[in-house]
Amino acid sequence: MAISRIPPAALSLKQFLQRQRVLGIYRNMLRTIRQVPDEADRKYLADWARAEFKRNKDATNQDAIRMMITQANNHLEELQKSLALARS
Amino acid sequence: MAARVLQQCVRSLARPSLRLCSGNPAVRAAAAPAVAIHRPLSFAADSRRTRWLGQSRVSVVGVLCRQYGDLPPLTLETIKDRVMYVLKLYDKINPEKLQTSSHFMKDLGLDSLDQVEIIMAMEDEFGFEIPDAEAEKLMTPEEIVQYIADKKDVYE
Repeated sequence: MAISRIPPAALSLKQFLQRQRVLGIYRNMLRTIRQVPDEADRKYLADWARAEFKRNKDATNQDAIRMMITQANNHLEELQKSLALARS
Repeated sequence: MAARVLQQCVRSLARPSLRLCSGNPAVRAAAAPAVAIHRPLSFAADSRRTRWLGQSRVSVVGVLCRQYGDLPPLTLETIKDRVMYVLKLYDKINPEKLQTSSHFMKDLGLDSLDQVEIIMAMEDEFGFEIPDAEAEKLMTPEEIVQYIADKKDVYE
């Protein structure tokens, strides 16, 4: 049996995709927060998002991560809707 | 007919930029014969080229003139300085340990969320969006400078 050359700390495909998804959500959130008109609100939201993501950084349970991703998406949509309302 | 219209365009473009220049009479004298020389040359095929030549002749001569509606040109040096400046302002980076070749994750101990924030800060600084797929590959300041230079067509 050939010795596997993949390092032990490498992620499986699913974990890798999930990681990409989380980073994508973080990026979208930061981009949406950029559109908030007030400077202090922007800073508060950015710090909140950062703290939330960092707090759950070490979660390994796939289902828990999936739940958190859904939650983050909901927050993101809420923020986008509020911004759209504020702009109109 | 079209050639004559283009000549008039060159002349009208040359005149306001000359007015704004520091008023050096040698500058004006140099620019005027340049425009005059190109007059007999401009026929259909050459008209576009001489128009470009006329404009570039004027801009080379009038380096002190204002640039309308455009940012100052980027060079590798300025890109590097701006990138390092933005990185030094980031609170999680120790400015003394920062060099152009320091890897964000291995040398500076940052994680992928911090790297996303850094790339967003670069987007803000340089004013254009960096897509996700390419953003996650940029792991050192040197790579960021290279990427921006590629995107903005800065050669040296």
